Amino acid sequence: MQWAISVDHKKLAMMYIGAGLIFFLVGGIEAAFMRLQLAQAGNEIVDPATFNQLFTMHGTTMVFLVGMPILLGFGNYLIPLMVGARDMAFPRLNAFGFWLFIFGGLLLYFSYVGADGLYGAGTAPDVGWFAYAPLTSRTFSRGNSTDYWILGILVSGFGSMTTAINFIATILCMRCPGMKLMRMPMIAWMMLVVAFLVLVAIPILTAAQSMLLFDRTLGAHFFDPETQGSAILWQHLFWFFGHPEVYILILPAFGFVSEIMPTFSRKVIFGYPLMVAATVGIGFISLGVWAHHMFVVGLGPVLDSFFGATTFLISVPTGIKIFNWLGTMWGGRLQFTTPMLFVTGFVAMFVIGGLTGIMLATVPMDWQLSDSYFVVGHFHYVLFGGTVFGIFGALFYWFPKATGRMLNERLGKWTFWLLFIGFTLTFMPMHVSGALGMPRRIYTYEVDRGWEIWNLISSIGVPVQMAGVAIFLWNVVRSLRKGEVAGDDPWDAWTLEWSTTSPPPDWNFDRIPTCTSARPLWDRKHPEDPDAHYE
Amino acid sequence: MTPDHDKSKAERLAERAALAPRGPSEMPYLRAIPQPTPWPILAAFGLTFIFAGLVTNWMVSVVGAAFALVGLIGWFREVFPHENVEAIPVADCEAVLPPPVFEPRPAKSPRNVVPEEIHPYQSGFKGAVAGAIAMAVVAAGWGLIDEGSFWMPINLLAGTVLPSVGDATLEQLRLFNGGWFATAVAVHVCLSLAVGMVFVVSLPMMPRRPLLAGGLIAPIIWTGIAWATMRVVNPTLEEYISWPWFLGSQIAFGIACAAVISRTTKIRLQVGRSFESRMGFEQTEGDSS
Amino acid sequence: MTALNATTSNVPLTAPLSRAKVGMASLIFMESAFFSAFLVTYLYYIGKSPDGPQPLDCLELNMVLINSVCLLSSSITVVLAVRSLARGAMGAFRIWLAVTILLGLEFLLGTGYEWWGLIEDKGLTIQSNAFGTNFYSLVGFHAFHVLVGLVLLIGVFILSLFGCINPARDHQRVDVATWYWHFVDVVWILVFTLVYIVGRVPQGAAA
Ligand code: HEM
Ligand SMILES: [Cu+2]
Repeated sequence: MQWAISVDHKKLAMMYIGAGLIFFLVGGIEAAFMRLQLAQAGNEIVDPATFNQLFTMHGTTMVFLVGMPILLGFGNYLIPLMVGARDMAFPRLNAFGFWLFIFGGLLLYFSYVGADGLYGAGTAPDVGWFAYAPLTSRTFSRGNSTDYWILGILVSGFGSMTTAINFIATILCMRCPGMKLMRMPMIAWMMLVVAFLVLVAIPILTAAQSMLLFDRTLGAHFFDPETQGSAILWQHLFWFFGHPEVYILILPAFGFVSEIMPTFSRKVIFGYPLMVAATVGIGFISLGVWAHHMFVVGLGPVLDSFFGATTFLISVPTGIKIFNWLGTMWGGRLQFTTPMLFVTGFVAMFVIGGLTGIMLATVPMDWQLSDSYFVVGHFHYVLFGGTVFGIFGALFYWFPKATGRMLNERLGKWTFWLLFIGFTLTFMPMHVSGALGMPRRIYTYEVDRGWEIWNLISSIGVPVQMAGVAIFLWNVVRSLRKGEVAGDDPWDAWTLEWSTTSPPPDWNFDRIPTCTSARPLWDRKHPEDPDAHYE
Repeated sequence: MTPDHDKSKAERLAERAALAPRGPSEMPYLRAIPQPTPWPILAAFGLTFIFAGLVTNWMVSVVGAAFALVGLIGWFREVFPHENVEAIPVADCEAVLPPPVFEPRPAKSPRNVVPEEIHPYQSGFKGAVAGAIAMAVVAAGWGLIDEGSFWMPINLLAGTVLPSVGDATLEQLRLFNGGWFATAVAVHVCLSLAVGMVFVVSLPMMPRRPLLAGGLIAPIIWTGIAWATMRVVNPTLEEYISWPWFLGSQIAFGIACAAVISRTTKIRLQVGRSFESRMGFEQTEGDSS
Repeated sequence: MTALNATTSNVPLTAPLSRAKVGMASLIFMESAFFSAFLVTYLYYIGKSPDGPQPLDCLELNMVLINSVCLLSSSITVVLAVRSLARGAMGAFRIWLAVTILLGLEFLLGTGYEWWGLIEDKGLTIQSNAFGTNFYSLVGFHAFHVLVGLVLLIGVFILSLFGCINPARDHQRVDVATWYWHFVDVVWILVFTLVYIVGRVPQGAAA
C-alpha cells in the first residue's frame, strides 16, 4: 500500500525496474521456448500457432515492458538525484505514468485468457511485434488478440509519454544552482533526448494504432489493401515510430556507459561537448532513417538511396561516442569491477551490432539479408549486447545507492561472464544461419539446409544465459539481506547522487547541493584541484 | 577533513552515525515533498478499464470512466489551490541523516590523458623499409624452398592488381616477368609505407608492448582478413598460397617494422593548440623549447 | 565542508523556467506529433478513393465556415479572459470565459450537425471509403481535443463561480491551461486547410 500510493520518484523507479525485471523473466521464458523448438530441425515442441504468439509476445514484451520501463525507471531514479532536485517536476503525473505502464502490460498479458481466438480459447497476439498489415485485418486476425496488442501498448504508451514530459520539465526546470546544461551528467542529456524522441515517436504509434483499431472495430479502411487501404502506410507509420524507438532503448544505456566508464577509468569523460553534440545529432538523424526497415518493400531507388545514406550518416555520431569512450579509458587506471565489465562489454558488442547495422543499411545487401536471422543477430547485438548489458552495468553500479548494500562482486563477475558467453553463443551464430538464408519467424526448418549446427549452438547459449540471470537474482536477494554495507559513495564517484546517503532520504538532499563543474563531487573531494579550473 | 583513508569503511560509517543527531540550528529547512496519494493510480486504473471495455464488455468502460473521473477530481484537489505537501522538519523526523563524509583522496590517475604522442613520421618510413625487406626475405624463402622459384611470390603479388596474372600458367608464374616485377614492387612499397604510417600513429596507443601488438597481433588479424577475402581480392594467390608461410612473412614484416619504429623516441602531437601557435606566429607558454 | 558552503552563497538560486509551462509545451509538442500522423495520412489518401461519396459532393463550406470563425475567435476571447484575470477583473474574466465556452460549444454542436447531415443525407460513414475513414478520424480526433479543452475551460469557469480562483495566485496557471485551447485552434487551421481546401478535389475515376 505504501508503494501503491507513493509519488516518490525513487520508489516509483524501483517499481519500474522491478516490474521490468519480472517482465524480463517472462519474455526470457518465451524466448527459451522458441530456442528449444528451433534447437533441432523438425522439432515439434510448440505448434506453429503458439510459436507465432511466442515471438510476438517476446518482442512486444522486451521492447515495451522491459526495455522502456527499466530505462525510464533509471531515468526516474537518477535524474532528480543527478541534477540535485528533491523530486520530479510532476510527482503525481509520474505515479500515473508508472501505473499506466503496469496496467497496460497486464492488459496485454490478459489476452492469454481474454482474447477469444479462432479456437474459442484465449490467445495471445500473434502478428509480430511490428504487426504488419494486412495480417492484422479482421480477415486474417480473428478474435480479439490483435486488439489486446493494440490496447495494451496504447495504454502503456500513454505512460511513457507522461513520463517523457516529466523528464523534460525536470531536466529543464529543476536543476540545482550552478547546474548549467553543459555541466549536467551525460545521463541527463541522454534522457532529455530520449524524452524528446518519446514525444515524437510514441504519438505516431498511438495514432497508427488508433487507425488500426478503427479498421478492426469500426470497419475503417486505413490499412486493408482489399478496400483501398494501404499496407505500406502502416509500415511507414510504424517504423517512423520504430526507429526512434530503438534509439530510445539505446540512448539511456549510452548514458550509463558515460557515467560508469569515467568512474572506473578514474578520468573525466573524454570530449564531453562532443558527446552532447553527438547525442543531439543522433536524436535528430534518427527521425529520418525509418525506411531502412522497408528496403525490401520496393520503394524505388531514390528513396532507398536516401534512407541508406541517412542511415550511414547516423553511424558518424555513434562512432564519435565509441571513440570518446575509448578515449576515456585510454591511459586511465582501469578498475574492472562488475559494472565496468558490463559497460566495456557493451562497447564491444555494440560495435559489432553497429557494424552489422551498416551492412544492413547497404541496400543490395539488405535485400539479401532482410527478414533473415542476420537481422535477428543484428538487433540482439545492439539490444542485448547493448541495452541489456548497459542495464546490468547500471544495476550493479547504482544498487548500492538505492539499497545501501553492495551487490556481491564475485557473483557479479559470474553473471557477467555467463551472460557474455551465453549471449555470444546464442546470437553470433544467427549471423551465419541468416547469411545461409534462414528466415526469421519460422517455427521449424528442414534437415539438409546447413542450419542445424548454428541453431543448436544458439540454443545451447540459452541455459548459459539463464544461469547468469539466476545468479544475478540470487545475488540481489542475498545482498539485500547481508550484502556489504555500501556507504554513501562506494565507488568514489563524482556525480551528485553520491553526495547523499544510501539509500537517499525521501527528500533526497538535506541541503540542495550546488554545482561547481561537471563533476561536482570531484570538486568537493579535491578542493586543491577542482574541475571548475578547467571549464 | 582528517585524511582517514586507512580506516575501514565500517569505522567510517560508525563515526558518521555518531554525528547523527544535530541541533536544530543546523536544520534550517523544512523539507517539502509531495504527500503520497491514491488518486493517480485510481485514474490510471480507470483509464485502462475504459480501453479494456472495448475488448470485453462496455460496462467495463463505464466503470473505468467512473474510476478515472473520481481519480482525476481527487488528483486535481491534491494540487489545487495549493500543492499538498508533507513538511518534514528534519530535526524532528525520526531518521536524521547525517551529511555524507568525503575524505579527500589522492587522484589516482591523471584527470585527462589523450593519445597525443606519436613516433616521428620518418621512423615510419624506416620501419616500412625494414619490414618490407624482412617480408621479402621470408617470401623469397617460400618461393625457393616450397615452389622452387624466386619469382613465384613476386608474380603472385602482382596478381592483386593485374588480372592477367590469373590467366598465367604455373610455368609462367615461375619465370621472371618485367612488367609483373615492377607492379609487384610498387604494390609492396605502397602497402609497406601505408602500414608503416599506421604503426607510427597507433603503436604508442597500444598498452605497453608494441612488439606484441604490432609484430604479432596485428599481422595475425590482417592475415585473418586476407584469408577471408583472398578469394575475391586475388584468386591466383589464393590458389597457390601457403598460409603458414604467408603468416610468417606478415609477422616478419610486423616485427621488423614495429621494432624499428618503437626504437625512436616519441614526439608530442600539437593537439589543442591554435593554428597560429602551431605555425609559430604566436608564442604560447610551454613553447620555449 | 566549509569551503564548499562558501561557494553556495555565490550562486543565485533562480528557477529559470516554470515547470508548468515546460510541461504544457511538451504536451502540445506531443499532441502535434499525434496530429501530424493523421494529417499526413489524410494527405496521402487525397484523391485515392474513387468509390463512394466524394469530398466535392459531401463537404459544404457554409456550416464549417461558421464553425471555424467561432473556434478561431474563441482564441481571442480566451486571451481577453486571461488578461482580465491578470488585472484582477473577475467579472470580465467570467464573461469572456463564458463567451469562449459558448463559442467552443457552438463548434462542437456545429460539427455534430455537419456529421449528422453527412451521414443521413450524403451517406458518408467511416466505412464508406478512404475519404470517409480519414475524414471522420481526423475531424473526430480534433473534435475530441476540443472537447477536452472545453472541459478544462468549463472546470475553470465553475471554480471561478465558486470563488476559488484567485487572480494573483492563479492567473499564470489559467494562462498555461489556455495554451491548450490555442493549440486546438491551430490544429483546426491545418485540418480545415487540408480537408476543406486541399482535399476538395476529384478522387480519380469513379467506378
Ligand atoms: C549504427 C547504427 C545502426 C544501423 C546502421 C542500423 C541499421 C538497421 C537496418 C538497416 C535494419 C533493417 C534490417 C532489415 O529488417 O532488413 C535494422 C533493424 C533493426 N535494428 Fe538496427 N541499426 C543500427 C543500430 C541499432 C540500434 C542502436 C538498435 C537498438 C538498440 C537497433 C535495433 C534494431 C532492431 C530492433 C531492428 C529490427 C526490427 C525488426 O525488423 O524487427 N539498431 N537496423
Ligand atoms: Cu532502424
